[in-house]
Amino acid sequence: MNRDESNNKVYDMKKVVSPNKLTGLWRLTDQFRTVYLVAILAVGLAALAQTGIYYLLGYLVDDILPEPDAILYLPWLALAFVGLAAGQGGFTYMSGRWAAYTAEHIARRLRDYLYDHLQRLPFTYHDQTQTGELIQRVTSDIDAVRLFYSEQAIGIGRIIFLFTVNLLGIYFLIDPYLAMMSVVVIPFVLIASIFFFIQVGKAFELFQEQESVLSNRFQENISGVRVVKAFARQEYETERFEEENSKKRWVGIRFTSLHGLFWPITDIFCGGQMLLGYWLGANMAINGDITIGQYLAYAQMVNLIIWPIRNMGRLITQASTAAVSYTRLRDIIERKREKLSEGVFRAQTDLAGAICFNDVSFSYDTSLKNEAVKTANTVGYMAQANDSDQRNKIPVLHNISFEVGEGQTVAILGATGSGKTSMINLLPRFYDFDSGYITIDGVDLREYPPEYLRQQIGLVMQEPFLFSGTIRENITYGVYREVTDEDLFAAAKAAAVHDVILSFPDGYSTLVGERGVTLSGGQKQRVTLARTLLKNPRILVLDDATSAVDTETESQIRDALKQILGQRTTFIIAHRVQSVMLADLILVLDEGRIVQRGTHQELVNQPGIYQRVYDLQARIEDELAAELMADNGG
Amino acid sequence: MSDEYYDEFAEEEFEGHVDRGVIWRIIMQGLQHWHLMVGFLIAIVGTAYVDSRLTFLSKRMIDEGIVAQDVDALRALAIQYGYTFVVLAVCVFVFIFSAGVLSHRVQYDLRKAMFARLQNLSLSYYNRTPLGWLMSRMTSDVTRVGELVSWGFLDAVWGISNIVIALSFMLYINWRLGLIILALMPVLVWIAIFFQKRILVDYRAVRRLNSEITSAYSESINGVRVVKSLRREEGNLNEFRHLTGDMYDAAFRAAWMSALFLPSVQIVSALGIAATVWLGGIQYNNGGMTIGGIQAFVSYVTFMLWPIQEMARVVASMQQALASAERIYSLLDEEPEIINKADAVDVPHVRGDIEFDHVDFYYDENNPVLTDFNLTVKQGETIALVGPTGSGKSTIVNLLCRFYEPQVGQIRINGRDYTDLTLYALQSRVGMVLQTPHLFSGTVMENILYGRLEATPDEAVEAAKVAGAHGFITDLEEGYETEVGEGGVLLSVGQKQLLSLARAILAQPDIFIMDEATSSVDTLTEALIQQGMETLMEGRTSFVIAHRLSTIKRADRIVVLKDGKIDEIGSHAELIRQRGHYFNLYTKQFRDEKSLAYKVYGDQSGENSSADSWAA
Repeated sequence: MNRDESNNKVYDMKKVVSPNKLTGLWRLTDQFRTVYLVAILAVGLAALAQTGIYYLLGYLVDDILPEPDAILYLPWLALAFVGLAAGQGGFTYMSGRWAAYTAEHIARRLRDYLYDHLQRLPFTYHDQTQTGELIQRVTSDIDAVRLFYSEQAIGIGRIIFLFTVNLLGIYFLIDPYLAMMSVVVIPFVLIASIFFFIQVGKAFELFQEQESVLSNRFQENISGVRVVKAFARQEYETERFEEENSKKRWVGIRFTSLHGLFWPITDIFCGGQMLLGYWLGANMAINGDITIGQYLAYAQMVNLIIWPIRNMGRLITQASTAAVSYTRLRDIIERKREKLSEGVFRAQTDLAGAICFNDVSFSYDTSLKNEAVKTANTVGYMAQANDSDQRNKIPVLHNISFEVGEGQTVAILGATGSGKTSMINLLPRFYDFDSGYITIDGVDLREYPPEYLRQQIGLVMQEPFLFSGTIRENITYGVYREVTDEDLFAAAKAAAVHDVILSFPDGYSTLVGERGVTLSGGQKQRVTLARTLLKNPRILVLDDATSAVDTETESQIRDALKQILGQRTTFIIAHRVQSVMLADLILVLDEGRIVQRGTHQELVNQPGIYQRVYDLQARIEDELAAELMADNGG
Repeated sequence: MSDEYYDEFAEEEFEGHVDRGVIWRIIMQGLQHWHLMVGFLIAIVGTAYVDSRLTFLSKRMIDEGIVAQDVDALRALAIQYGYTFVVLAVCVFVFIFSAGVLSHRVQYDLRKAMFARLQNLSLSYYNRTPLGWLMSRMTSDVTRVGELVSWGFLDAVWGISNIVIALSFMLYINWRLGLIILALMPVLVWIAIFFQKRILVDYRAVRRLNSEITSAYSESINGVRVVKSLRREEGNLNEFRHLTGDMYDAAFRAAWMSALFLPSVQIVSALGIAATVWLGGIQYNNGGMTIGGIQAFVSYVTFMLWPIQEMARVVASMQQALASAERIYSLLDEEPEIINKADAVDVPHVRGDIEFDHVDFYYDENNPVLTDFNLTVKQGETIALVGPTGSGKSTIVNLLCRFYEPQVGQIRINGRDYTDLTLYALQSRVGMVLQTPHLFSGTVMENILYGRLEATPDEAVEAAKVAGAHGFITDLEEGYETEVGEGGVLLSVGQKQLLSLARAILAQPDIFIMDEATSSVDTLTEALIQQGMETLMEGRTSFVIAHRLSTIKRADRIVVLKDGKIDEIGSHAELIRQRGHYFNLYTKQFRDEKSLAYKVYGDQSGENSSADSWAA
């Protein structure tokens, strides 16, 4: 049944979120409500069957055993016992199975949805969130929600059913007074249980904290082992570890003591309650107010009222953490996705690649970060609401205008933070800019759907990222056509990484990533370059793509690229003059503004940043010559 | 994580043959706190007894009180029932407390022993053992063993004694019926084992898939920019849905199997109840069975579910815990490779010439690192070690510190084989500054004092001044009392090096070793580091794994290494004149360094304050 699902669309979680936690948890069960209600109903039926067994016991004693021909009825009665037990077992199994069915389906739906959702949330979202925290949410928070359905809700239901069924049973079938006298301690036990499990939760947190303190100390010692040894500080370290180690033992023992107090104390309470019930019931039986059979049934049923209550506290505290987990997931679900197909222009062909920036300004959105600060510090929140639009923006590009003809190469030079990457990130519509306009082939950028743009634009990013898998998979990652070995090798050769790959024992099938070989920074960059070249984009962006590659390999790559460059519009972000000299247009950025533009010939004769960079080369060579002369002389 | 870690991790997933010796050692571990063990054994058997006793009293209340219409007997029994409950509470208190304390004590003991052992193990052990592996020995394995000795043992004893005692009571009440219940036991045990084994297999699959799902998430979040630019959303989602599909299958299976376990046991025990009703009913007629007796049997049989479940759980988790114990003991049994010779001497100083005499060394037999390496360093000389990665620079330093020992040849200090000295004598006289300096969490002051624990704070400040660290420390908000954060994350690499220089200065070492940082350090800090180094090197034999020209040029001699051999050796001027490898290295380095040193883009370069840094 679940296999079919992968062909369908991912269930849209957005339509079931709710501002109220409990309503939200209820709405999450959409499509499984009947099943889940059946599961809960089955819990009740199981409780009924169990009570039935005890009631039947009373019937046996009162109505069968005194009969002279009791022996004739006994086999049927025995069969009825087995039947009821089978009923109880069957219903218990059903509730467990259907609850798990619901819980696992909901968990799967959440996993699928959140996975998809996260990769479709805009850059702005990912810029402002931490990977570790997101992973924490999609793993442990989903698990907490899953347990809510499979354990806590069902468990609470079970206790309530057992309590109600048996209490009503005693009330109506045995004796109302006895029923009321059997629940005297229940409120106390319930309160004690909730109070205790809240304390246990706190103590457990403390224990976990100490655990992580100890782990950190241990980890620090191990990773600093050379320093420890170099200063011969083993004894000192052992003492320091001992401190935290014994502290952990004490925190653990404290945690244990809480349990050591709660269970025996409630044993006394519940035992006292049992005794009270037995005493009253037995006297009633002796006085003939109830029959012996009724007493027998009561003696068993009262167990099911009293003892399970002690676990209520645990289930309730766990359920409340599940509700908190739900709100954390909801927070992600409610974020707006990027609209990949938004844009009226339906291009039939590939782009030619004539690009025009006209007076473009852009600023980064930091509302999420500020939101986090605000929730931490709610005072003055209302007062700031008015100017929040201003405060949530960090301007990075100011009035950028330039034009590129199709097939031309543009080089962008500038310091870190001058806005180079931000500028080209606008082209695939990774971000929306504030003012001005951009056109490609004369059509406004905002009319192109982002998915079309991203198919047409190839980006090699500063930080190369490889997925775990083979090198071949990584290079063909973004290509949706059949890739022949010739194509693959050609791309790898152009990126000067073919020979490196062949030098690995498994060649193109070598695993990279978490469990594979570790490539050097330069090798990674070249693999990602090959990936983009294979994609054969109409617009190519090389964002400092060879920064970790050594000089020789870089010039090799430059030669290979020369053949490709003329055929498509290319942006090169680089630091070295050699990489930008041949560009048709060089843009020099400074603090989000274009401060110089032109060809190499033009810029080199113009006072400014470009000239300084260029002159530097010559200066270094002069200095080196002087240095060597001095050394030879001395 | 490395392959090794993965293999070890995989090992955790399989049930291997468990050595009897391990079980014995675990028992001995618990017996170190024998009074706790005796305490909970008595209490848990007591609990099992009292539980059965309560049911028995309830039976007598029915037979001797209600059926016999005897209120006095009923009162006496009720009072006894009350007392018994108090005894039960006391037993419960004792077993929870003593088992809990035992569990934490055993965990404490194991952690302590492992830590102490690790302090003495040689560096080679750390190199082949990933941190993650050691971490899980220290955390999850210790917990498992601690719980096995206490709660696992307790549950097993409770389960067995509960069944035995309940059966005894049943046999006492009515031996024929008791025998029938006894006959059901093997069936119940078989069912329990059958289910636990299968459920365990699915749970393992769930755990494995869980970690795969987590890494899929982490990969797609980390690589989200690439995913977007290559429009891989659809493909990724489809791959991911296979994982969640498998996860669903395994998790659902494990869940419904667990849900089936108890009902199965219940139904089998219902046969016991049926037998009680049928045969008990027959015997009631001829006086062989009482009403209370029937009631007691129903209670005993119903309750038998729990000990069986607990024992099945213990058996299932025992295998894993034993595997954990085996790994812990393998760590404890690890022998350090480098130890003091029996007649090693402690000397207050290790000054004098240092000779590497025909030294051969390898980490792994097939890849020799140093072959026939010879080098004599005069007392007080500064040696710069230069060469590509893997040429043996760090190895020379490691040998010198005796983190490793040469396989062939000798290293002599002041004419004496250095293995004649104790490890402490040598290592406490060596000062070391690493490329990525390791700081311990704690304050700046504590980190400097690490160099010489008995030094006064004033001496530490003095050392910081000499190292050139005083300036930036006093600029910190809390000065010397500033917390540096775990691994020193709150400080820059340059600042960390300054601090570790101060630490080394405070130690007043005889031999100084420095591994220069390759990553760029701002010019001012760089100058401070240079100054600090120079002070430290004065009069001390020093080895520098050098990356910066200024350092290299300042050395008395430069050793250019290539494939574990000395390629060129001499002063800067000599080597430049040779126009060899050093010359090439030098000119290349010169160009690189200069182009970094000149501020190409004006003053704002290197400042990543603006948005680009987090948008990149």
